[in-house]
Amino acid sequence: MSEREILIRKTNAAIDAYKSQRLRWVTGRSQVKVEIDEERYRQVVDSIMQDEIERHMIIGAIKEKGPLTVEELSQLTGLRPSRIMQHIIALRRNGIISEAGEKNRQYLYQLV
Amino acid sequence: MVEEKFEPLIVAFCCNWCAYAGADLAGTSRFEYPTNIRIIRVMCTGRMDPTFVLEALRAGADGVLIAGCHPGDCHYQKGNYIMEKRFDYLKKAVKSIGIEPERVKLEWVSASEGAKFAALVREMTQQIKQLGPSPFRLIHNPK
Repeated sequence: MSEREILIRKTNAAIDAYKSQRLRWVTGRSQVKVEIDEERYRQVVDSIMQDEIERHMIIGAIKEKGPLTVEELSQLTGLRPSRIMQHIIALRRNGIISEAGEKNRQYLYQLV
Repeated sequence: MVEEKFEPLIVAFCCNWCAYAGADLAGTSRFEYPTNIRIIRVMCTGRMDPTFVLEALRAGADGVLIAGCHPGDCHYQKGNYIMEKRFDYLKKAVKSIGIEPERVKLEWVSASEGAKFAALVREMTQQIKQLGPSPFRLIHNPK
């Protein structure tokens, strides 16, 4: 995957991530009404932002190429397979992706 | 040689009540500033969706300037505070996709600060010239 393609994927993912309810909710707050200090809140938002961008890179890649394996997703997004797997678990739990058979003894994932 | 020819394209989102009026004043007062800027008027910086900035960068803008009322002067009471908060995260998002966060700037300009607006545009144009073309400009226009 070239640097240029990764940049395009990441930017598209960031735009999609900013359109998602989860990121809008945490970054749109003008006041934090929960018992958490400002610094900790920033850390939580940073990690949510990173997660959302990476998850939208995965969703974007599947949308573009059809069902993909963890290895293929790793090549397309530049993320480590272990990181991809973490996101796959979250995306499956949220009903966004599901398994779609196997390829070379690896599960394929598709959008629901 | 390439740096000399490079003319950056800066997209500026100016709030209707302060920065846009400031830009207008800069024009009517004949303050000179570079023509690299393209101004888009928004009613308030609080109305700005972070995707506007990301979309501008994706479309090939070398820099994005967001200009609004000074803190406490917002026509809608707290729109600029909302933007200030969002801007921190937006800068991090820009950095995480691999674009220099210096390409994105948030500034306060009042309706009477025409000279400040002109100086701001000059300074930002200079800064972007030093950074060079944005990676997206190179993708859209490989030459």
